[in-house]
Amino acid sequence: MKASNMVAMILAGGRGSRLHALTDTVAKPAVHFGGKYRIIDFPLSNCANSNINVVGVLTQYESVLLNAYASQGQRWGLDTFDSGVYVLPPREKAEADLNVYEGTADAITQNIDFLDRNNPEYVLILSGDHIYKMNYERMLEEHVNNKADATIAVLQVPMEEASRFGIMNTDSEGRIVEFEEKPEKPKSNLASMGIYIFNWKLLRKLLIDDAKDTESVHDFGKNIIPKMLEEHKRLYAYTFEGYWKDVGTIDSLWESNMDLLYHPDKINLNDPNWKIYSEDSTSLPHYIGETGEVVHSYINQGCEIHGCVERSVLSLGCVVGEGAIVRDSVLLPGVKVESGAILDRVIVKEDVVIGSNAVVGSKDSKEVELISEDVKATKGGNS
Amino acid sequence: MADAFGIVVYSNKGFEVEGLSQYRSMGATSFLGRYRLIDFPLSSLTNSGIENIQLYVNEKPRSIIAHVGTGRQYNINTKRGELKILFDEGNQASRIYQNDVHSFNYNRHRIEEMPQKYVVITTNYMLYTVDFNDVIKAHEDSGADITMMYKSVNCAKESFINCDVMELNKQKGVKSMHLNLGGKSNCNISMDTYIMNKDIFLAMIDQAVTTSSLYWMRDMILDATAYLDIRGYQYKGYLYAINSFKAYYDCSMDLLNLQTRNELFDKDLPVYTKTNDSSPAHYFETGSATGSLVSNGCSISGTIENSIVSRGCIVEEGAVVKNSILLPGTKIGKNVTVECAVVDKNAVISKVKSVEGTIEQPVYIKRSDRI
Repeated sequence: MKASNMVAMILAGGRGSRLHALTDTVAKPAVHFGGKYRIIDFPLSNCANSNINVVGVLTQYESVLLNAYASQGQRWGLDTFDSGVYVLPPREKAEADLNVYEGTADAITQNIDFLDRNNPEYVLILSGDHIYKMNYERMLEEHVNNKADATIAVLQVPMEEASRFGIMNTDSEGRIVEFEEKPEKPKSNLASMGIYIFNWKLLRKLLIDDAKDTESVHDFGKNIIPKMLEEHKRLYAYTFEGYWKDVGTIDSLWESNMDLLYHPDKINLNDPNWKIYSEDSTSLPHYIGETGEVVHSYINQGCEIHGCVERSVLSLGCVVGEGAIVRDSVLLPGVKVESGAILDRVIVKEDVVIGSNAVVGSKDSKEVELISEDVKATKGGNS
Repeated sequence: MADAFGIVVYSNKGFEVEGLSQYRSMGATSFLGRYRLIDFPLSSLTNSGIENIQLYVNEKPRSIIAHVGTGRQYNINTKRGELKILFDEGNQASRIYQNDVHSFNYNRHRIEEMPQKYVVITTNYMLYTVDFNDVIKAHEDSGADITMMYKSVNCAKESFINCDVMELNKQKGVKSMHLNLGGKSNCNISMDTYIMNKDIFLAMIDQAVTTSSLYWMRDMILDATAYLDIRGYQYKGYLYAINSFKAYYDCSMDLLNLQTRNELFDKDLPVYTKTNDSSPAHYFETGSATGSLVSNGCSISGTIENSIVSRGCIVEEGAVVKNSILLPGTKIGKNVTVECAVVDKNAVISKVKSVEGTIEQPVYIKRSDRI
């Protein structure tokens, strides 16, 4: 495709500490999802499907794996003459020592040179943390039609949950009149999704000013957006309708995986018109053995199932032994469940081995348990 | 790195998977849920460090070209290596002139210009995985002019019909070849895979075209047994000749067995193919499977038993698929039973209640058919 006039910048530096051991050695955007994907596949595939050709990925926390992963632009078809995925971790500069990214806005400020080289008309700021399918081209169309200085994607959340989000208060035209971060008494239910389109020339100036402001924490939500409102810039809300989930906790990660099973109408990853692209593998189709049974599940290639799998999501190359039972669980790549083991309501970290006859998790537990270390085999049969 | 380039050529003897071959060449035939037969020889070549490969196609080239593309998915560094797709156009007079020797001769300068010392010639219908470096090493050590791969089998009465049987002397020298007509169980089956010096190959082509316009590779090899040192290399891994519809079905069912499958799929010799970016397979509340290989992109609401389900198939509620092969994108409607069938790409079975063949005589449902 011919180069578009919008460059996307994905903020992928966060740890996602509420994912505990899942993000000990990788950043949240690299966490596995849906049996086949990493979270960052969603914004990257959305960019590819929205005809965005140049994507910068700003990484920081435990970035080695993420940098290696995102730099393989061919996975998302972003390796043509005009397109590419450019990984942008913090760097040492001539006039300063190594500067880590201090905030979301600072991460962009430190890469002004990258954006200047591409010289786009618009910049799309994305987060690498969310599961959703969105056509950014539609959002840009509205941005252009509104002659906006910035457009912020918003999601209608239940009013009782609105106080957990950054809330946009708009006029009847959709123009943002006020922005409130986690308001006690929300006036609207339009929650910011952390997705922004800016006119690059204006944003560039705002970022340079913000960098000089010693009071600022250099954050889009806390500094840049309020500043623009103060200056009466034209800010518009773009209402997104569809599935969107911040998989920031073990419970929400589990729920979002289960949504693939229970709500294929809301989040369908099998839509040929909006595929989510990911890493390729040389594995065989998954194999259900003579003693194996799979019911109501989402199973990726390379799995080998000799036990019983129910209402679960199994990632690349998982093995379930004979007599083992996996229920209401999410197995990340390479998990081995040995014979006779029983799993209920757990997420099992990649490459973990659950020993034979071990009993892990509980079907009555309120919270989903994360199993991040091998579980020893126990003697005797299961009961 | 092997000092060799590869040739993958269409098969002689008119081998085809009846039904499936109406729509695509042998190499483009869908296999084991997510592969096509061409993936096996190409992966063996690139796993052996052979990145310059000539792929000869004789007919219906569309699907094979769409599948192999630039060859990047096979791990070919497309700057240093190249996957060349070659046809010949000089044989319009009659189909009988469509033979591999003609194709080689038509593209003679493409073979001549290759800088590598050796050529590894292989084909689509022989299913195996190998590290050719071992074979090249044996070829060099023996000092032979030509090395031919073979396997000693004990099932030649039922399998490998019309494949070549090699008669070997004690030094594994190839004395002669004849077709396997199913008379003897134990014999050495030629894998239609040859390793030789490029110059010997070119000289043989020159000789063959002056002898007969109808010569195939195996004919010129047979002639050459009189004046060249041709040796056999015994291959001990998994081998199947997919030379008929029944062989295609039997081989697929054979590979449903985990141990058998592990013989073909060696961890160190992965089989590459073109990704389809499908989501993992989705089993709905009523969906279940046992004893089967199920590919990504499938939506399963029915029951799958002892079958191979390719990418993007839909099996609706109450449907039962047993001892069958569903090719990509097929749909089995509500309460339909499919037993011992090969259902070709994008076919929809919904109007009839059941389609049943037998293990001995599986049925074939045409591509994009509606029944």
